[in-house]
Amino acid sequence: MKNYYTIIAFTENTPGVLYRIADLFLRRKINIESLTVSEVKNEDQSRFTIVVFAEPDLVEKIGKQLYRIIEVVKVIDSVDTDLVAREIALLKVSANKLEQRKEIEHLVSISSFVRIIEVKKNYLILEKTGTEKDINDFYELMKPYGIKEFVQSGRIAVFNT
Amino acid sequence: MKLTGSQAAIESLLHENVTVIFGYPGGAIMPIYDALYDYTHSKKIRHILVRHEQGAGHAAEGWGRITGEPGVVFATSGPGATNLVTALGDAMMDTVPMVCITGQVNSAVIGTDAFQEADVIGVTAPVTKWSYQITQVEEIPFVFKKAFHIARTGRPGPVLIDITKDAQLASFDFEYPTEIKLKSYNPTTQPHMGQIKLAAELLNNSKRPLILAGHGIHISKAHKALFDLAQAADIPVALTLHGLSSFPNDHRLYAGFLGMHGNYGPNVLSNKADVVLAVGMRFDDRVTGRVVDYLKDAKIIHIDIDPAELNKIIHVEAPIVADAKPALQELLNHIKKQKHTQWVEEFHKCNAIEKTKIWDNDCNPKKGPIKMAEAVTRISEATNGNALVVSDVGQHQMIVARYFKFKLPNSFYSSGGMGTMGYGLPAAMGVKTAAPDKEVISISGDGGFQMNIQELGTIAQEHMPIKIVILNNGFLGMVRQWQQLFFDKRYSMVHMQSPDFIAVAKAYGIKGMKVKKREDLAGGISKMLQSKGPFVLEISVEQEDNVFPMVATGASVSDIRLE
Repeated sequence: MKNYYTIIAFTENTPGVLYRIADLFLRRKINIESLTVSEVKNEDQSRFTIVVFAEPDLVEKIGKQLYRIIEVVKVIDSVDTDLVAREIALLKVSANKLEQRKEIEHLVSISSFVRIIEVKKNYLILEKTGTEKDINDFYELMKPYGIKEFVQSGRIAVFNT
Repeated sequence: MKLTGSQAAIESLLHENVTVIFGYPGGAIMPIYDALYDYTHSKKIRHILVRHEQGAGHAAEGWGRITGEPGVVFATSGPGATNLVTALGDAMMDTVPMVCITGQVNSAVIGTDAFQEADVIGVTAPVTKWSYQITQVEEIPFVFKKAFHIARTGRPGPVLIDITKDAQLASFDFEYPTEIKLKSYNPTTQPHMGQIKLAAELLNNSKRPLILAGHGIHISKAHKALFDLAQAADIPVALTLHGLSSFPNDHRLYAGFLGMHGNYGPNVLSNKADVVLAVGMRFDDRVTGRVVDYLKDAKIIHIDIDPAELNKIIHVEAPIVADAKPALQELLNHIKKQKHTQWVEEFHKCNAIEKTKIWDNDCNPKKGPIKMAEAVTRISEATNGNALVVSDVGQHQMIVARYFKFKLPNSFYSSGGMGTMGYGLPAAMGVKTAAPDKEVISISGDGGFQMNIQELGTIAQEHMPIKIVILNNGFLGMVRQWQQLFFDKRYSMVHMQSPDFIAVAKAYGIKGMKVKKREDLAGGISKMLQSKGPFVLEISVEQEDNVFPMVATGASVSDIRLE
């Protein structure tokens, strides 16, 4: 059965690796739900965090095929329960009236991992961190006020083992 | 030593013991060709000027397959590089070591749609094992070292180095690295002992074991290891297309050729095996037929150096990541000597059925036009199997695979995975260049031959004494056969008019002869074999001849058709 998997790949930090990794997913027709690439400290390596929604068998096969890419050092695929994962979102929420603003400020103060990072005449910019679900829930919470712009990062994750 | 990038590139090749380059010059690779001028004049390296870059690619493949060392190609930027794509894809699918060096436009204008600029790294990424664009002259030694290391180790494959013109022209202090260690690439070659023991136990308890051996036997030079293991445990050996000539075909344990047009025995009996040892093969769909029915009742042991091949197509009980040779040798240490006389005889019985139903009529017809199998059989007999045979792709390829009695190990070269028409003639150039003392026979159909017919020019200029056979049936035969069998004989675009091949050969300065009648066949073959230089032998064969047996697409191998 299809499930969400987080594939974490450590690679040499050289150009072209992303191209080859993306090509592999394209060939296997697996849509990448989210992708984050970051540098591994003191190692001259990159850490790819790739979230896919796919059959477990296919995830295992693509994991092995990733090793065919010369620059790939290590690949680990895991399900959500093995990980602590976070994403970050920025929301530009309409706040034309004082009343609205107060309501939003109140909601922010009683929510976890949200902060106001810009206050403007017509809007507030909020930063929310959490799981995909936390971010979705917060999005729904803000929706009635009018979301002028929304952006969400890919997932970053560490192993909880 | 102060060198230009161009000199450094060629010096790097010399450090890698490269003696021959197949190539074609052009604007962006001119500095390298200028440096080459000195090296070819002092005979330190030989360059063979092909007529099309695809020809250089396949020639390098031929070289790579016979020597086990990367074949080397030079091509210019843009179209020069993109013309290599088919050969790269072919080498990637068929696990052939190759290093292609392409010129690239000046680094300052990359990305500006400069003249003859192509995103070569982007275009070739899916068909190369590794690729790299050099823009700094200092990168040359390490990148060349790495390229050759990657091309020839692990599961061999094609590698491409793209060098910008400014990097070719710049100078630096050249020093070639003696060793290389890559953090991210360390192929496993030695088998895991636990897995070997598990595999040995499966084989020791088997009543009907079967070995499926492929290209990996040649790459790993595991011919003796395969023979010893099969002999000790009395296991029949079936071969894939690329595995042909890895096991003696006159041995009682030789089960035959696997796959869609393979032998009857190994196809029908593979589903009766209780334990299958697959080594250096990848369960291609041409071998498995309908996968859900394939080896249903067998426990499978799979030895491959590429971990991604294990459990890729079918579930395996004992996956072994290793080079074929040490794995087979280690397995031999844990094998009980056994006899499977009855099981082995089942293969012989199947062979007898196939012989009566197909071989006799295909190889020794008494009347009618010459048949492809007849021509191939006569060539096989005339050479006593002592030849290196390069086939193209199509009906004749399956006929060569089925009927040529290879005597030399690693003596059959063909495009398997990609099925690249046009492979044969240029690949034969690489084989002949690597093995000048061996008889090299290129066998093509009239269609595939015309896909790289221009390489006759290279063969003539370089005086390569290749024996070139064209089996001419006036059709794109394999497609025609499928149209006959599966598309109600609606022959769509398969009839092909060809030029007078002998006149074409003559225009290139190559001798030739056309054979139309059975009584002239033996004479034609002997004239070809006695010729000192290259020779084109065109044989007119039965127009609507079909290759049987056949496992239809989507059918189980058990349902192989004999007619």
